[in-house]
Amino acid sequence: MSMHLAPVRRFLRSLVAGRRRLLAGPLAVVGVAVVAGSFLFGLGGTSSATQPKVSTNKATITAGENLYNAHCSSCHGIDGVGGRGPSLIFAGAAASDFYLQTGRMPLNDPNDEPLRHHRWFSQHQIVAINSYIAALPKINRVKGSGPGIPEILPLCPASESHNNSQIAAQQAKGTAKCVTLSFGQHTFALDCAQCHQIAGSGGMLSKGFVIPTLQNASLDELGEAMRIGPMPMPKFGTGQLNHVQLSAVARYVKYLQQPAHPGGLRISGFGPVAEGFVGIILGLGLLVLVARLMGTRG
Amino acid sequence: MSTDQPTTGHRPGPEPAGPHYSEQDHGEQEQLFDLPPSTSPDSESYHLDPTHFGIEPGEPWPEDVPRDQDDTWWRYRDDPAGARKAEIKIAFMWIITLLCGLGLAVIYVMGGDPQIEGGLLALGFFCLGVGFVWWARDLLPGHDVTASRGHHSQSTEAYRTTVVASLGRGLEPIARRPFLGKALGLVGGVFGVCILFPLASLGPRLHNGLAKTAWGRNTRLVDENGRPVRPSDIDPNGILTVFPQTNPGDPQGATLLINLGPASNDYKPPLSRSTWKIDTPSGTIIAFSKICTHAGCPVGLYNTIAHELVCPCHQSTFNVLQDCKPVFGPAPRSLPQLALAVDTDGYLVSQTGYDQPVGPGYWGRG
Amino acid sequence: MSTTAERRAADQRQKLEKAGLDFVDDRFGSSRWLQSAMDKIFPDHWSFMVGEIAMYSLIVLIITGIYLALFYVPSGAEVVYHGSYKPLDGQTMSEAYQSVINLSFHVRAGLVMRQVHHWAAIVFLAAVCFHLCRIFFSGAFRRPREINWTIGLLLLIVVMLEGFSGYSLPDDLLSGTGLRVVYSIVESIPVIGGWVAYDLWGGAFPGTTLIPRLFVVHEFLFPLVIVGLLTAHLAILWRQKHTDFPAPGKTETNIVGSRLWPQYAIKSGALFMMVIAVLCLLAGFFQVNPIWIYGPYTPYNVSAGSQPDWYVGWLDGALRIMPHWEFRSFGVEIPNPFFPGILIPGVLFGIMFAWPFIDRKIYNDEGPHNLLNYPRDRPFRTAVGVAALVFFSDLTMASGTDLIGNNLHISYERLIDILQYGAIIGPIVGGIIAYKVCVALQRTSAHPIQKPIGGVIVRGADGSYHTLGDTDHGGDHDGAATNGHGAEDEHLDGEGDGAGNGHGRPAEEETVGAGGTSGASAHSAGSSPPTDD
Repeated sequence: MSMHLAPVRRFLRSLVAGRRRLLAGPLAVVGVAVVAGSFLFGLGGTSSATQPKVSTNKATITAGENLYNAHCSSCHGIDGVGGRGPSLIFAGAAASDFYLQTGRMPLNDPNDEPLRHHRWFSQHQIVAINSYIAALPKINRVKGSGPGIPEILPLCPASESHNNSQIAAQQAKGTAKCVTLSFGQHTFALDCAQCHQIAGSGGMLSKGFVIPTLQNASLDELGEAMRIGPMPMPKFGTGQLNHVQLSAVARYVKYLQQPAHPGGLRISGFGPVAEGFVGIILGLGLLVLVARLMGTRG
Repeated sequence: MSTDQPTTGHRPGPEPAGPHYSEQDHGEQEQLFDLPPSTSPDSESYHLDPTHFGIEPGEPWPEDVPRDQDDTWWRYRDDPAGARKAEIKIAFMWIITLLCGLGLAVIYVMGGDPQIEGGLLALGFFCLGVGFVWWARDLLPGHDVTASRGHHSQSTEAYRTTVVASLGRGLEPIARRPFLGKALGLVGGVFGVCILFPLASLGPRLHNGLAKTAWGRNTRLVDENGRPVRPSDIDPNGILTVFPQTNPGDPQGATLLINLGPASNDYKPPLSRSTWKIDTPSGTIIAFSKICTHAGCPVGLYNTIAHELVCPCHQSTFNVLQDCKPVFGPAPRSLPQLALAVDTDGYLVSQTGYDQPVGPGYWGRG
Repeated sequence: MSTTAERRAADQRQKLEKAGLDFVDDRFGSSRWLQSAMDKIFPDHWSFMVGEIAMYSLIVLIITGIYLALFYVPSGAEVVYHGSYKPLDGQTMSEAYQSVINLSFHVRAGLVMRQVHHWAAIVFLAAVCFHLCRIFFSGAFRRPREINWTIGLLLLIVVMLEGFSGYSLPDDLLSGTGLRVVYSIVESIPVIGGWVAYDLWGGAFPGTTLIPRLFVVHEFLFPLVIVGLLTAHLAILWRQKHTDFPAPGKTETNIVGSRLWPQYAIKSGALFMMVIAVLCLLAGFFQVNPIWIYGPYTPYNVSAGSQPDWYVGWLDGALRIMPHWEFRSFGVEIPNPFFPGILIPGVLFGIMFAWPFIDRKIYNDEGPHNLLNYPRDRPFRTAVGVAALVFFSDLTMASGTDLIGNNLHISYERLIDILQYGAIIGPIVGGIIAYKVCVALQRTSAHPIQKPIGGVIVRGADGSYHTLGDTDHGGDHDGAATNGHGAEDEHLDGEGDGAGNGHGRPAEEETVGAGGTSGASAHSAGSSPPTDD
């Protein structure tokens, strides 16, 4: 065994030894470039719906109904007709999935603002409830349906970059099959940044409503939120954000969760306020310390 | 003056052996600069040289300047071994600086990296600075010296008199001919103002550019991609930023389209505006200027529960159900409302332009 | 203990030095000035170095600024970006913005230079404000230094504007929002506001001429003014010599510290290195102003949580907490932003400019001063200063109500309410507390040099009792272990070994309305007249 390990050990030791320091720079640069590139070009991007989140299976719907009656009907009423909480008949699987995945529901007090929380239900249970909520229009014998869980288009691969202008035109028209970060940034800046902040750090709405950070949202949650307009958030239907725009925004927000920060530590992403703190406390603080060490105090 | 107490940092020098400086040296001051011994910090008579202590030649030695100071003192003056050690410490620091410099060159050639660059620069300059501090503290003289402030704070009475005479030489004749003075004032004033006229070329004449937008009769609403908008494009509780099709880039023209959704029943506009909205099955659609009437930021936040538009800059809050009247914050006026209609192709259009200037106020707005 | 060789080498050096100085003197007659310059004394108190920290930050700003200016394109013309930062690929932006993106991503060492420049601006203003506070609280603005105080305040204003214009040059979403607000403030000036705004911007907002003009202002106009004012500031300081805190051995007519050559020059050079080191540390490890995240500016986009850089935060906060008053009558109007944007800063800075004269009237003290006050010795002035600081802090906090609210889950309505009241009550309460603290500190024995009011009784070696500070002698060269002065020396701060020359009398006690005098004569409860040997 050790005979096989010796050359490995030698190799590892050589990595740590002197020569590595010369290579460290280029290796680091290459490493960062690979990681950044894979983010930027979506080589590592996953498609959103790896497992179905809704089912039309009767057993699943029944299981969902049972869960719903036990945990949700006290506020939302039997068959989702509403009560202390709003009616869920046209909420759709998107709303169900969003609120349950982010732990916003069930809510203890209907007057609280639902904020991100740990999940109350398992994935299976969520699928069941999603299916039930999606079936509510039929159960209530009304026409129409709530928004389904949108499937997020993938990022355009790097190999397609020579087609950039064509892809841009397709995105503008709404016919693209993949999306670019740039289109996402452009749409995000117009429709989302005024509430969620340009780096996705969140903000403040009137009447004490906290606008949450987007740092923890999954692709599905992003798509769902846009389509359902949860709580004080406006609703973005297909007429306002078509499927391409929605996917682009979702992909860009994922990028914002780990953006390129070549300048160093991001200091919260909130901008000049945080920078001012660091500059005054750390910058001037260090210099005043230096002055005190160099000068007299009498 | 019997027992002189040493002050901090001063080592008592040898008793002054040279001549006691007194008034009789006044007029022989040039000699001081000719005497080699007194220019050298090591010489015995150096301590007495009042020039180094801000004392004018001919002046008595002030009482608040100690006469026994030794401003040639430095920490290791009498300890060559200690001095050597200090030197080595300083050199060590400066070698680190040198290595940082080389590192910077290497990292630059290899493509650059802000963290490494910043770190090496910081370390290099830090060690350079520490070396300087130690150098000054341990190996160089000039610590804790007391000198006279001298008499630069005020001139002698003689000079204060002569300067009045100099100024008066010019002012008196001028004052005696008031006509010229007044003429210069008038001419200078008018001429001065006239030659400032080219400043007006900096900007166009102030017309109602601050008030007008590109919205007019039957101007189609388009989204940021240039597509016209139908009423059905906005979901209930939805918002959309729209622009005038005639000039989508008009910065004053940004408008926010809102579908009131479930609150449509609570929306009761005044009679004069009852035709400005579009009623659809999903809700009532209204449009307001997106430019805040406080300081001009885009009012983009919409609270669908309180039905309020919020400006992110200074938290001006507008109640949409009450014609965007400001309910909190510094905005003093409602957001102007755009009268909507639907054209024959089913697209949203503006009936006319805005009925008032959009954006923040200015002197001639009304 | 020098060898012959060393002595010969020293002689050689001296000959060369003399030859060099003679060369210069033959042309300029400069020897007298050079001698007084090299012999000049600079006090060593640490707080006096903060002004130098500011100056060295400025030098860093100028050097890095020149570098950045060589890459920056001062043009508002629209271009389409096709570089390596993918999230902006294909987007329309101004040439100015694109040049800064290129500098950040495509120019080697460009990003670190940009960040050094921006951090230097932040630290520069922090140092200037600290320096301003030090001057104010220690009374260094008093005669003969009133004009330098005025120059310093002018510098503060110009430097704030310089910083604002600088971070607006990249034409990104965050700084562009700030420009929009400033346009509205300028617009709000009565009668001429619209014209001035039109002339500065070349028309309605945003226009296309602002970026090139801002470049001229930031690179040329303001730096000229700053360098000119700073030169005057330093020249006056040089001429009048530095002030110093009172201590044994220090009087109104002497100055104690390090010689400029070589001590202070080397130490100051060391401080310069340290300033660069700290700025580079920040620049390397803390990202600042990531304009690629903000995106290019468009007038219909805005980010939540938009704030200016910290030193303009008070202005933004003032705009937020100002009630929605607006004057509208007879077809004219004074819009809301005028009051917090022009009027209030005007009043505040007016008081600051006038302060040396206000201070003179309050303390009935027209005389010149080279010795400073300890803040506790001027409780009223200190209280006013603390009140001003509380006011500015309240306004600065107000500029972050959305951030504070988001982090602490407090509604901005409540926060702004609190800060509105706080802007009035806070300074009053802060001032009163500061006043009382000063007076209390005076009464304790913790003063660096002043004896406690009220007396402390000590017993001498011969069994006699005396009150500390009761029997001090002015002008005493031998005042050491006799008459209880030894105990007094222990009481004092260790500086100066107590024995000094006795000319350094402690600072005047605070008596409002009584004349302050120069520090050369002794004052204390029941003092005896100064005696001399």
